[in-house]
Amino acid sequence: MTSASALLLAAFLVAAVSLARARWGIGSVRQRLFAPPRGRAGSGVLYAFTTAFLPWAKESASGHPVSYLAGILYHAGIFAMLACLVLSLTPLQAPAPLASALAALFGIALGAGLGLLAKRLADVAVRAISVPDDFVSNLLVDAALAAALAAALVPSARFVFQLVGAALLLYAPLGKLRHMLFLLTSRKLWGAYYGRRGVLP
Amino acid sequence: MTAPDAALQLLRTGLDAATAASLEACVRCNLCAESCHVFLADGESASTPAAKVQQVARLYRRYHTWTGSVLPGLTGARTLDDAALAALVESSFGRCTQCGRCTLNCAVGLDPAAAIRFGRAMVAAAGLVPAGIWANVAAALETGNSMRIGPDDVRETIAWLEDDLRATTGDPSLSLPVDRRGARVLYALNPREIKFFPLSISAAGALFHAAGESWTLSSTDFDITNYGYFAADRAAAGEIARHLYARADDLGVETLVVAECGHGYRSLRWEAPEYLRRTLPFEIRSFVEVLDDYLTAGRLRLDPAKNSERVTLHDPCNLVRNGGVIEPQRRVLRAAVQDFVEMTPNREKNYCCGGGGGLLAASEFAARRVATGRLKAEQIRRTGAKVVVSPCHNCIDQLLELNRHYSLGVEIKTLAEVAADALVSAPTG
Repeated sequence: MTSASALLLAAFLVAAVSLARARWGIGSVRQRLFAPPRGRAGSGVLYAFTTAFLPWAKESASGHPVSYLAGILYHAGIFAMLACLVLSLTPLQAPAPLASALAALFGIALGAGLGLLAKRLADVAVRAISVPDDFVSNLLVDAALAAALAAALVPSARFVFQLVGAALLLYAPLGKLRHMLFLLTSRKLWGAYYGRRGVLP
Repeated sequence: MTAPDAALQLLRTGLDAATAASLEACVRCNLCAESCHVFLADGESASTPAAKVQQVARLYRRYHTWTGSVLPGLTGARTLDDAALAALVESSFGRCTQCGRCTLNCAVGLDPAAAIRFGRAMVAAAGLVPAGIWANVAAALETGNSMRIGPDDVRETIAWLEDDLRATTGDPSLSLPVDRRGARVLYALNPREIKFFPLSISAAGALFHAAGESWTLSSTDFDITNYGYFAADRAAAGEIARHLYARADDLGVETLVVAECGHGYRSLRWEAPEYLRRTLPFEIRSFVEVLDDYLTAGRLRLDPAKNSERVTLHDPCNLVRNGGVIEPQRRVLRAAVQDFVEMTPNREKNYCCGGGGGLLAASEFAARRVATGRLKAEQIRRTGAKVVVSPCHNCIDQLLELNRHYSLGVEIKTLAEVAADALVSAPTG
């Protein structure tokens, strides 16, 4: 195992433990509810994690098609990048066609990420609620995507990808990147709320 | 204990996990901005749901995260002091009606309304709830209703309404029973009906009578409104609801029917059982649902020709988006009027009238409340309707003001009033 791989592995462990601790810190969202349900919470949760993602399901998506598309592409690239980061700890190598496809995805995701960063700077209302963490988080993720792109094209760049990935993982529990964990909880509760009250789906 | 200390104690020990998850999950994308009628009306960045959530989230990060305590500048963490509390009053009361439209449309799927609501709770812990709202909380806790109406006043008003109803219908058997034990239904009121809108009680009475329902009013603890809920003071809200639950228990009814009041329905049907951590021995239904049941069962006959003017429907946020009562009022209207047109958007996507969240009682925000009602006024105007029906007395108060301010030239009515105007049936029960 290379020193970069060892650092990355350690970063994964630190991130996992820190994020688990953060999630544990807010306590359990499970609670007995006393008001009788009108609909099914489970249907709402299913909706929340499926069709609620469709571009016409919410005004936040239908009213901002460019931001919606950028967000989808950005996060698709991030998930693929994190998967590649895990695989970089193994001897596996992506076959050339897959590596090219991944490189394209990382490039598109990087463009989307930088676009969202530009929007954060340009949009007065978004800038007004932004904090330094927003910019640090975006730039770290963008850097990881750029490194992933490089590693997909040039296998010897795997070392850089692992180092940048380690930095990203070490930062993740400190700021807004924690949303990767909490959005799962909040989205589930969102669906359960509307499902139980018979509002959605 | 100082006001910031009291709020901080709540932030440290009273934050529920679901709200914490929302505060953690907000990525400040601001895609919720246009879902908020306040932002759409004033265009101020401080009015976006994300900005209002951040007023709470910055405090959360300061006291609940390591980074926020060590490097507050990095995450925008803020110390909870008098200035922070003043900002919370402005954002969580002055710029938010708790309508929840941002929650429905949040791209991430978090609950901005709940997060902002926790801001209200901190304000309440600090004793800084707008005086007009808190006066209603105090009145309800002290007297059992938010307008301090005594039982004799209730009985006198109902007796007068009963006489009037018998005279106008020519039906001497028509009664508005009060404090009748053994009735199947307790019909609980918004105190504003007794004071200012008694004809909505007459309308409900005529409909109950026509349907042959076994029902009663109560002269005490009849109040469905809950300003403790608006104030986000769970203890006060629970206690206020407990009064009415106890009265329903005492009268031994099977069903507590909530008059047309959005937040009253939501607080009694959905929220207070959780505040009090109890299941109720009776069911809670909106009068809107009950009317729909009567029509479905053939217990009421309505003639839509009696309401020939174009009618549109305002969806109260707490009844519809947060209460799940979406279609019954539409079925009733289709049976009761000739020309029913929907606003756009409608149902769970409808805009708040601007008077929600207790803001009608907060005079310091009155000008903004009327200004944020502009969207609703435009929605109404686009329908070309002559009558606006709203199954919520709180919304009706706001709509009456919007009608004057924006010269809409419409009539504002409850669903019961429109249905009662269309009544053709004799009692069938």
